[in-house]
Amino acid sequence: MTIAIDRRGLLRASGVLVVAFALPAATARAQATGAPAGPGNLTAFIELRPDGHVVLWSPTVEMGQGTQTAHAMIIADEMGADPARISVEVPHPSDPFRRELPGSRAMGSGGSWGVRYWYEPLRKAAAQAREMLLAAASDRLGVPAGELVADGGKVSHAATGRSLGFGELAAAAAAKPIPREAALRPEAQHRYVGNGIARLDTPAKVDGSARFAMDLKLPGMVYAYAVLSPVFKGDAEGFDATEARKIKGVVDVVKVPGGVAVAADNSWTAMKAAEAVKVSWKAMPIDDLDSAKLGTMMRDGLAAQQAAVAKAEGELNVAFANASKFVTADYEVPYIAHTPMEAWNCTVRLTGDTWEIWAPVQNQDRILQAAARTLGVDATRIRLHSIMPGGGYGRRLGDDGIHAALVAAKALGRPVKLFWKREDEIGQGWYRPAQMARLRASLDARGNMTGFWFRAAGPSMQTEFAPAGVRNNMDGSSVQNMADCRYRWGATRIDYAMRHVPIPCAPWRAVGATQNAFFLECFIDEVAQAAGKDPLALRRELLAHDARALRVVNAAAERFGWDRPLAPGRAKGIAYFESFGALTAHVAEVSIEDKRPRVHRVVCAIDCGKVVMPDGARQQMEGGIVMGLSAAMGEKVSIARGRAVETNFDSYPLMRFDEAPRVEVVLLETPGVAMGGIGEPGLPPISAAVANALFHLTGKRIRKLPILDAMPT
Amino acid sequence: MKLDINGQVREVDVDPDMPLLWVLRDTLAMTGTKYGCGIAQCGACTVHVDGVATRACATPVGTLDGARITTIEGLGAQGQHPLQKAWIEAQVPQCGFCQSGQIMQAAALLKDNPKPSDADIDAAMAGNLCRCGTYQRIRDAIRRAAGA
Repeated sequence: MTIAIDRRGLLRASGVLVVAFALPAATARAQATGAPAGPGNLTAFIELRPDGHVVLWSPTVEMGQGTQTAHAMIIADEMGADPARISVEVPHPSDPFRRELPGSRAMGSGGSWGVRYWYEPLRKAAAQAREMLLAAASDRLGVPAGELVADGGKVSHAATGRSLGFGELAAAAAAKPIPREAALRPEAQHRYVGNGIARLDTPAKVDGSARFAMDLKLPGMVYAYAVLSPVFKGDAEGFDATEARKIKGVVDVVKVPGGVAVAADNSWTAMKAAEAVKVSWKAMPIDDLDSAKLGTMMRDGLAAQQAAVAKAEGELNVAFANASKFVTADYEVPYIAHTPMEAWNCTVRLTGDTWEIWAPVQNQDRILQAAARTLGVDATRIRLHSIMPGGGYGRRLGDDGIHAALVAAKALGRPVKLFWKREDEIGQGWYRPAQMARLRASLDARGNMTGFWFRAAGPSMQTEFAPAGVRNNMDGSSVQNMADCRYRWGATRIDYAMRHVPIPCAPWRAVGATQNAFFLECFIDEVAQAAGKDPLALRRELLAHDARALRVVNAAAERFGWDRPLAPGRAKGIAYFESFGALTAHVAEVSIEDKRPRVHRVVCAIDCGKVVMPDGARQQMEGGIVMGLSAAMGEKVSIARGRAVETNFDSYPLMRFDEAPRVEVVLLETPGVAMGGIGEPGLPPISAAVANALFHLTGKRIRKLPILDAMPT
Repeated sequence: MKLDINGQVREVDVDPDMPLLWVLRDTLAMTGTKYGCGIAQCGACTVHVDGVATRACATPVGTLDGARITTIEGLGAQGQHPLQKAWIEAQVPQCGFCQSGQIMQAAALLKDNPKPSDADIDAAMAGNLCRCGTYQRIRDAIRRAAGA
């Protein structure tokens, strides 16, 4: 794809109806400037073109999670638009697209917020657009707006059988004032929300025409590959590029943050020439760090007197003093990489005094600010084009993939696409941190839990990714979803002993819930065993007071057929966890085949409150379960000499086609509760469901991931 | 050298050691074929060479003299290959990045084996990674295209 046009110019020429989302400041600004407004100039828009085509400027990127299609459905229902005539674009970051979350106000796609956050603002914006169309149609047809209906991309007057297409009304509607309040259609009238449509992004993804950032080609652009420090956060001290510069097709070799970039007229030449560059690396404080040292640090944290307390409720000392029995277990998870199939890449061009950046991003404001710092320019001089990422999972939340591209473009004085190899994608870090946990429960004489202590210990994700979020040595992600767990188990203490090493970490799909669900739900199984209870029965006891959670656990168990005997050589395990506002339970069926664990079937029940796009929710459960299972089974990044040991798919094994289970999904809704997320909650329980099932099969507890490391081969 | 790609002869002036993947992507701007790992472990770069599913990242272009190369862009006119239609019906893709390779791999399977068993599908598709975890729907789409 060659990008030559300026979208702002295109928009100004098109005479469009633009509607700010129902955010007062944005509305005021849209009105003050009289619109039309270009992307990024002002606000978020529903754009209606004279041909009736609707452009939705979405606050989220489409990285596979389906939110842009969900947004189009929401718009179509409320506006009366035809979803087949809606396309979606992502704007440059500006206020209307920023999420206001505790402690943060930024544009981004993460936290499973895409639908639950934007559902109401998008409905309101579409309702405003509908009112403006009705007002314009009322003028044209000479009938009261109240007699008109917007549906299927046109406004109709039933009594006279007349109708006007949205496109015919676009100019007149754009001249109408934006109503402050526009009545929302009752949800019962929604045609698409709750039912779904085929995803808008699918056709381009099956014929090769979908354009990822890696596919961009600008006029005059060179391809740059950077030799990056093998030690995390390291940098080049010096380099000798004499031989590399002699290679045909090499344009130049320049210093960039983290290493040295080789620019050439194609990617392959850049990679080949990079092998000929001799780089000397700066000595780093973690040059001798390895997994064994890290393990010692984490174990020290497990036993430490001092820890940051997330929750202390009830008299844990009393509960422990009066215990008839204790259950105590230590668990461990390794560093894992997001490793989206599209490796980081970033294309940069300076035109006039404006820097343009094309990249697969999830976190526009962070990247914009980071780019401004690296370039040494004001952010107003940067245009960020958020290109559909080839997988995100949290990897595009960071800004590490852009700096070398910016510096290379500046040094070379021409457009540059800087790209990473898979080895860089995995080897440069930004992992889900390794972590250990010690869990301890007191039981009374009847086998009921009377007290529970959860201690997490290990590196802190937030210290690396967003240090401002760490207060008093507490990293909320390390105890994520533990303090608000619905289980009633008596006195409770949840704490975290930070044992940090400066290996870059970032939110990895479902974040701290990935490890905490493994720790907690394996442990609950151990408690059940110690108390002589069925694992499902114990969870029902702990959730007896909570009808919503109980229904989720029961739905998974019933669909699976918990009480039905399994075939010989098969066993089942269950796990329940709540994350991102959604309650999820998985039941997994396993066997051992050729000495390897095999997961045959997973039944998943999820209650996210309201389901907007049922098939999208199923996709996220199916995919989340495979990703969570992949991590649980085989994924780990070991550390040696301050660097990653496993850096490509030959040593960092993703779950493959023939290993993936059949997944069945039960979608549950609960009216009147806050909407929950869908992108992440499918992952957390799967590791424990499978580990528990393998225990019931083999009698051996798996307390350390990945599972394959614990299995005899 | 001359390359026969999707029924067209393309003249390229490149190092014969350059993998087909980069010739397609950078020289010919045919970007439907993706880079995933560079070591033939993920299948994102799968194309057909004389009808055989082949990893373009590990295939030097100099070995392709006289070979018929098919990429995702040439698989079906306007994306109308039965697998492409099945992929949409089953709503397979999530991020979509690996799907060109998945479809090319599946197309080679169905060409040789129009009614594959589940074990046949497993064997054919095990080399193509999908980080979004769309495997179940890929299987469903292959079965659908095979009329199963």
